[in-house]
Amino acid sequence: MSGLISQLPVLPVITPLIAAPLTLLLPKGRVPWAWATIVSWLTFAASAALLHNVATNGVVSYHLGDWAPPLGIEYRIDLANALVLFLVSGIAAIVFPFAYESVRSETDNRQSSLFYGAMQICLAGMLGVTITGDAFNVFVFLEISSLSTYALVAMGARRDRRALTAAFNYLVMGTIGATFFVIGIGLLYQATGTLNMADLHLRLAGQDNRVIEAGFAFIVVGIGLKAAMFPMHLWLPNAYTYAPSVVTAFIAATATKVAVYVLVRFFYSIFSPDFAFMQATFAYVLLPLGVIGMFVASLVAVFQADVKRMLAYSSVAQIGYMLLGVSLGTKAGLAAALVHVFNHALIKGALFMSVACVVLRLGSHANEAFQGLGRRMPVTTGAFILSGLSLVGAPATVGFISKWYLLKATFEVGHWGVSFLIVASSLISLIYIGRIIEMMVLREPPESGPLSAPIKEAPMSMLIPMWVLVAANVYFGLQTDLTGGIASAAADALMTVGGAR
Amino acid sequence: MGANSLIDALVVNPAVIMTVGAVLCIFVPSALRRVFMLAFVAASAFQLYKLGLGEFGAVTLFGETLTTVRVDRLARLFGIVFHIAAALNIIYAWHEKDRAQSFATIAYPAAALGGVLAGDMITLFVWWELAAITSVFFVWAPGTRSTYLAGMRYLAIQVLSGVLLLGGVVLVFRDTGSFAFGEIGLRDPSGAIKISGLVLFLAFGIKCAFPLLHNWVQDAYPKSTLSGTIVLSIFTTKLAVYSLARAFPGTHELIYIGAVMTLFPIFFALIENDLRKVLCYSINNQVGFMVVGIGVGTAAAMNGAVGYAFSNIIFESLLFMSLSAAMYRTGSSKATDLGGLYKSMPLTMTFCMIAALSIAAFPFFAGFVTKGLIIDGVAGEHMFWIWLVMLFASAGVLEHAGIKIPYFTFFAHDSGKRVKEAPPMMLAAMSVAAVLCIGIGVWPEPLYALLPYQDQIAGYEPYTPWHIIEQLQLLLFAILAFALLIAWKWYPAEVPSVNLDTDWFYRIPGRNLLAWIAGATRALWNVMWSVIFRRVEVIIGRIYLVHGPEGQLARSWPIGFMALWTAIVLGAVLIITFIA
Repeated sequence: MSGLISQLPVLPVITPLIAAPLTLLLPKGRVPWAWATIVSWLTFAASAALLHNVATNGVVSYHLGDWAPPLGIEYRIDLANALVLFLVSGIAAIVFPFAYESVRSETDNRQSSLFYGAMQICLAGMLGVTITGDAFNVFVFLEISSLSTYALVAMGARRDRRALTAAFNYLVMGTIGATFFVIGIGLLYQATGTLNMADLHLRLAGQDNRVIEAGFAFIVVGIGLKAAMFPMHLWLPNAYTYAPSVVTAFIAATATKVAVYVLVRFFYSIFSPDFAFMQATFAYVLLPLGVIGMFVASLVAVFQADVKRMLAYSSVAQIGYMLLGVSLGTKAGLAAALVHVFNHALIKGALFMSVACVVLRLGSHANEAFQGLGRRMPVTTGAFILSGLSLVGAPATVGFISKWYLLKATFEVGHWGVSFLIVASSLISLIYIGRIIEMMVLREPPESGPLSAPIKEAPMSMLIPMWVLVAANVYFGLQTDLTGGIASAAADALMTVGGAR
Repeated sequence: MGANSLIDALVVNPAVIMTVGAVLCIFVPSALRRVFMLAFVAASAFQLYKLGLGEFGAVTLFGETLTTVRVDRLARLFGIVFHIAAALNIIYAWHEKDRAQSFATIAYPAAALGGVLAGDMITLFVWWELAAITSVFFVWAPGTRSTYLAGMRYLAIQVLSGVLLLGGVVLVFRDTGSFAFGEIGLRDPSGAIKISGLVLFLAFGIKCAFPLLHNWVQDAYPKSTLSGTIVLSIFTTKLAVYSLARAFPGTHELIYIGAVMTLFPIFFALIENDLRKVLCYSINNQVGFMVVGIGVGTAAAMNGAVGYAFSNIIFESLLFMSLSAAMYRTGSSKATDLGGLYKSMPLTMTFCMIAALSIAAFPFFAGFVTKGLIIDGVAGEHMFWIWLVMLFASAGVLEHAGIKIPYFTFFAHDSGKRVKEAPPMMLAAMSVAAVLCIGIGVWPEPLYALLPYQDQIAGYEPYTPWHIIEQLQLLLFAILAFALLIAWKWYPAEVPSVNLDTDWFYRIPGRNLLAWIAGATRALWNVMWSVIFRRVEVIIGRIYLVHGPEGQLARSWPIGFMALWTAIVLGAVLIITFIA
């Protein structure tokens, strides 16, 4: 057992990575789903144990294959990535059990083992990106997760052929992002001769030349694209809209969050705030783009005729909040961004899961499908309303905590205008969420057409996981020790330890 | 923040008990619902009594300790009278079966109570908004299109007040680093107006119906149901009075604002034909007295202001109740349609007279023992003109609320209507209120014992010869004036005219100029708004185009477009990093 404990850091990545190919050997039907669910739970257990370990014992460093860094690959887990690992595997442990009915109705059943295999690869990739302490390894895992995501998005084609185009666009854009990213890493390698993050940090200190500046720019843009930073978000709405509902719920809650994490990791563990160009990038790129994204994407969301698409645009706006937090360059701002990474995953996961329930019963995620839903699917409606309020930032939900931390961070640096903009854009989110809630609660169901057929509430296998996530929205809204506490400590560690290495 | 401390804070709060009751009462069968509601009001009152004075329900939220329940003398006084009023309302509307109104009958007082008990401004904000949201059910209750629209207007104004409050809270936090709800003041020590104070002042002013911010009262309140108007008339404005007393005692601007508030409604009340609107104007006028008292800010005046709020809630609602009872039986509130009801509804008439005598501050009624405190407070500060205005306004109150309401409802010309006496539960509620009116008037000591500044009130004696003579002179002259006006047929009422329904603003001298300014402003606003709106639409339209309508996804240009954006961002980042 102690052997297993000492190998704990590698378990979250290796479990789904090995389990995924095995999935292909399983018979079609329910078995691949059950297998994936068990794997996701094991992964989650390993991540939770790891978070506990890091929280009590401090940073964990694991040498893959016992090759010592900087030559060998190092897994280096501090509070920041332990939190993201916990989040990503936790979302997987909720979405995977949720998936069965929805996936069965939306994708080709003959591909079920492929589907769940791809989901596990995607999970392994995201966990690998998060856990690793090696810059090139980040690229490798990023591509592992992205490639499987392209395939997963394309699987929505059985319901809507446009999924193919969306996946193709996503593929092209994602590849551009990955290429930029790897160019940036190449430039850093050229300047320093190392790929290990800690080593990079040491060797970069004091260097400030065109090569490093260009490397930095390529990395920011490449990862910014993966994170759907405005205005490089254009792949996201279509990919989210046409992917199978479960895939949307999973990647909306995780993929962009992991990208934001990578950005933070590069800013503080590889580069450091001492570089003048980083401060300039914060002030003239991240802050304005974050704020513009908050508004433009929210306004676009208001005009959408499709709930899934609306939520996708809302995700772009929420990325703006995270970038805004990072761009403040303070401990409080960074903590706010990490808190929002965690909280927004809970919010969007729950929202997209309720959309999945509606799609299962009505076969549509257009606005009309939500008319009068309060009477037809009350449990699902309740979940949507609660998590929608959380998105807006109603007190006693995680959304409120996020906004609070963000506002506090902006107060601290005296950006009063920015605090005002945060509140103002929250009001826009109230408009687009309120619009859907009004449709669900106050309007009558459609009287004719394909959406008027009588329907049942979603099955228990979907309702229970969905409500677990909704409950998490409220629980972490009241109990902020985990998110707020760990995020603050993680921000602290990122900003101070960086220099000490 | 621990979840436990939050739960403790919720359990300890009387307002939460009432709110829970409000939610649960929706599910109780209508036969038992009112009993159930009374039980929760009683439980809440017991909890308030059991708490005693002190601070409770501390919650640590993001490093700031919030005091969710603070019972000091000021808060307790309002807490007690809110319970009394809530109980009376429940009894009065015993026949009401509507779930939404039943919910609001207890949820809205609960929200007002929560606001009064809030020890910090975050908690205050939460209850402030809840009070706005729960009360709008009354405006919507009749269910017509006009009440729906009035409700939306009402809600918009109330929420505006809430937004201002939140803004003020943030600004105060910046100034002081604390969320505690205490004295804030409008000016800083150097005498300059503080932005934070001004924003809060406006937030309270809207709810308090300051002149020019008052129109929502006359717009929304008379449109509610019979019992709804009574509930509405009590809580919102008094919560605002409490907030002013807490945050802005001795702010001199309030004296002049209050003086105007006491005066201007009198003229409109005189020519108004709808008696419910008359009473709504009298809310403004009555709150004006309290505002003046707060503005003076001495111990005597503050005692007077909050004591007057206490007794006003009782007699004002009694006045509304008796008028509503008459309306319930006759179906009209127009002075022209009523009259001569004293034969059919003698008990209701008696109660109405008691309320009228109280509001007019006759000796041995509730108004006298508290209004005297305010007027004395003003006189004590040697504010001659204000003192005069208040005396005149007192006479005006007598004119419209004390005489006009009972006279045109129960006497005047006989409308020929013969109706039944009010239902027993209405009579029960009214009799309790009437007993309180007389009780406070004859035996004011218990009320005085509750007032916030005990040192000042200790030696106060309401029934000195000077007080009584001063007041009686005033009252008798006012009655004489009314009698003469009636006798010479100069009294301007009983005209079913439409001008009374239009906005008062256009009727004062210079209406043309005002109308022109209003028109020009409106036109400018419309032009500006339409330009902005068109701009926004164009912008949104463009973005929509950029993102591509769904049918055009198959085209290849989005990829090129996205790649272009990426290149632009890369270029920008490169330039910035190189320059830095």
